[in-house]
Amino acid sequence: MTHRVALLGAGGFIGSRIVEIFHLGGLADVRPVARSIRALARLSRFDLDWRVADARDEEALCTALAGCETVIHAISGDPATIRDSVTPVYRAAREAGVRRLVYLSSASVHGQAPLPGTDEESPLSRRQPIEYNNAKVWAERRLLSLRAHGPVELVILRPGIVTGPRSIWQTRFAAELLAGTAYWLDDGRGICNSLYVDNLVHAIHLALTAPGIDGKAFLLGDAETVTWADLYRPIAQALGFDSIQLPNVDHVPPRRNVRELASAFESSRPGRAIASLIPKRVRRGIRAAMTPVPPADATPWAIPAAPASPLPSATLEMSLLYRCAWKLPDARARQLLGYRSVVSFAEGSRRTIGWLEFAGFPTIQEKNRSR
Amino acid sequence: MRVQDARIKVALIGCGAVARLYYMPALRVLEAAGLVEVVALLDPEASHAALLREAFPQARTLRQLSELPRGAFDLAIVASPHSLHAMQTIYLLEAGASVLCEKPMATLAEDARAMMRAAAVGRGLLAIGLVRRFFPATRMIRHVLEARALGEITSFEFSEGSATFDWPAASRDYFSKREAQGGVLMDIGAHALDLLQWWLGKSEIVDYADDAMGGIEANCLIRCRLDCGATGALRFSRDCALANRYTVHGTRGWLSWQAGQVDRFDLGFADSSQVIQAGFRKQAASNFEQSFLSQLRNVIAALRGTEELLVPAAEGIAGVELIENCYRQRSLMALPWLDDREFARGRELNGGKSAGAADR
Repeated sequence: MTHRVALLGAGGFIGSRIVEIFHLGGLADVRPVARSIRALARLSRFDLDWRVADARDEEALCTALAGCETVIHAISGDPATIRDSVTPVYRAAREAGVRRLVYLSSASVHGQAPLPGTDEESPLSRRQPIEYNNAKVWAERRLLSLRAHGPVELVILRPGIVTGPRSIWQTRFAAELLAGTAYWLDDGRGICNSLYVDNLVHAIHLALTAPGIDGKAFLLGDAETVTWADLYRPIAQALGFDSIQLPNVDHVPPRRNVRELASAFESSRPGRAIASLIPKRVRRGIRAAMTPVPPADATPWAIPAAPASPLPSATLEMSLLYRCAWKLPDARARQLLGYRSVVSFAEGSRRTIGWLEFAGFPTIQEKNRSR
Repeated sequence: MRVQDARIKVALIGCGAVARLYYMPALRVLEAAGLVEVVALLDPEASHAALLREAFPQARTLRQLSELPRGAFDLAIVASPHSLHAMQTIYLLEAGASVLCEKPMATLAEDARAMMRAAAVGRGLLAIGLVRRFFPATRMIRHVLEARALGEITSFEFSEGSATFDWPAASRDYFSKREAQGGVLMDIGAHALDLLQWWLGKSEIVDYADDAMGGIEANCLIRCRLDCGATGALRFSRDCALANRYTVHGTRGWLSWQAGQVDRFDLGFADSSQVIQAGFRKQAASNFEQSFLSQLRNVIAALRGTEELLVPAAEGIAGVELIENCYRQRSLMALPWLDDREFARGRELNGGKSAGAADR
């Protein structure tokens, strides 16, 4: 285990699993870098040379990356964080003498419902209705431009819906099921472009050393073609729900409402500059004014009805994702990285349900055990 | 020791997050009320002490215990990393001061006993900072259980955890195995195991597992048995959002406390589906801050001889013994997302008793 790799975003969902696989599997000498002291909570399970550095602080990053051969950029966050972190990371990697930077972008640079035929060569747009996608496109372009003038090699990975322990996709669905707010669109027939986290980590490991891939982007997915229903059915069953009973909700038109537009503006550079001039209290007031107000109870004399469960409403992102009809190809990753999915979708689901149980979700198995 | 002076002179040992968030505002209020005077702020990291000095400009800032002038203070508050609690407390007691030591009292039972011995021969008092004992809700729960309102206790489940760790630790030492000596068990577990024994009496550890793999645990699971034979589980996490409920079941009913809730808890009876939300009228300590102040005021009153200490060292030691027993029985938790090779390596690094394949 001689390859020393710095991992930015080590405290997150993907970062945590990278640390586990690299360290426990003896794949590399991993140096986790967390954005703050408190982000060390999960990482401190291991006796590692962890560092604290904000990804926007080039100087702190430079110290954190010193002596590392490669760097993985696995920092998640809002569009502003995505944009603001790439330049300092690349520059710090250059200063630290890093050979290669592996950047975790996202398949969503192609949109949540990419057109049939989409692959890595398909043109990218920064005029998508989801600001996250635009930020990722911007970040990829910025990094490629830095690479054009800098010595640090760059590999871009575009994972699909990353699933597994701590995945927001599955955790949120489980929580929504329990809260009675889970829903389908089109009975979950849309393609989910899933990628079990261990398969992503496998691809990252390959990308750190594979020759001849500098400047290339790679789409990554599970071997199986998985629908949203396939993804969620095992979770629903584990929690004792019949997923078929979920309500179908309407698609949201692919245009942004006032709130989303405001949020996009707020996360842009000029937006942040203007927002900083507005007092916090006023900003809070504006946000509150844009939040729908629930109707007041009409009369105290109404006969109590069974608690109403209003039909959930889909977010724009979910609405687009559920419409996906294209399984993104990973042919390039297979050919140039030697990638193959190392954990099947079924096994990944089993492990994720194991984690849900670990995290205190009331699975049937856990209920039976405590009886 | 009786302190008759108008103001009790306080030295704050350790100026990290707990000092900044809780002790600083509490001591400022008590200073303004003429009850205390903060005379010294000690931290090896000068910037930490300097931050607090803005609140206490008259206080001296120091970097080590030997710089503390003997006799210049009546009460030392030990709010330093866990591994220093015993050594610092003993030093301060031997110097003739009284000490309020943050939880956990010590990381080893032997150290806790040495602290007790130092308190017994010294002039000062030794109190343990277990602030949850000052919440009206936890105090009332103790009364409910003492009155056997739930009948015979049959089981209990305590869980507390969040997916995002939000304690603003001031130093990386908080997560260092050498300095902290433990993770979530030493932190949340110290509160929970104290409440367990305070509410339900003596208990023994049946089984303990955590996820430390060379470092400190972010998750742990404890199975305990009470003297009455009832068993229960305690689950703590710095990694997962848990139910954050402390629930006790009896033959007649149950009660459930939302972790950290100062002034209410839920109560139900076996043959009813109704839930009573028990709150309190006109409580002195109606929020966390007031409870924290109550703790300090109790120590001050004890120093003046007008009240008994509510959490003396003898009360703190039981929790330390339980934590020590937990670590002694350590095994690696079931981590079902690890593959066999990773789990085997994790078990080696955990250093605990070996777990069979069934534990996966």
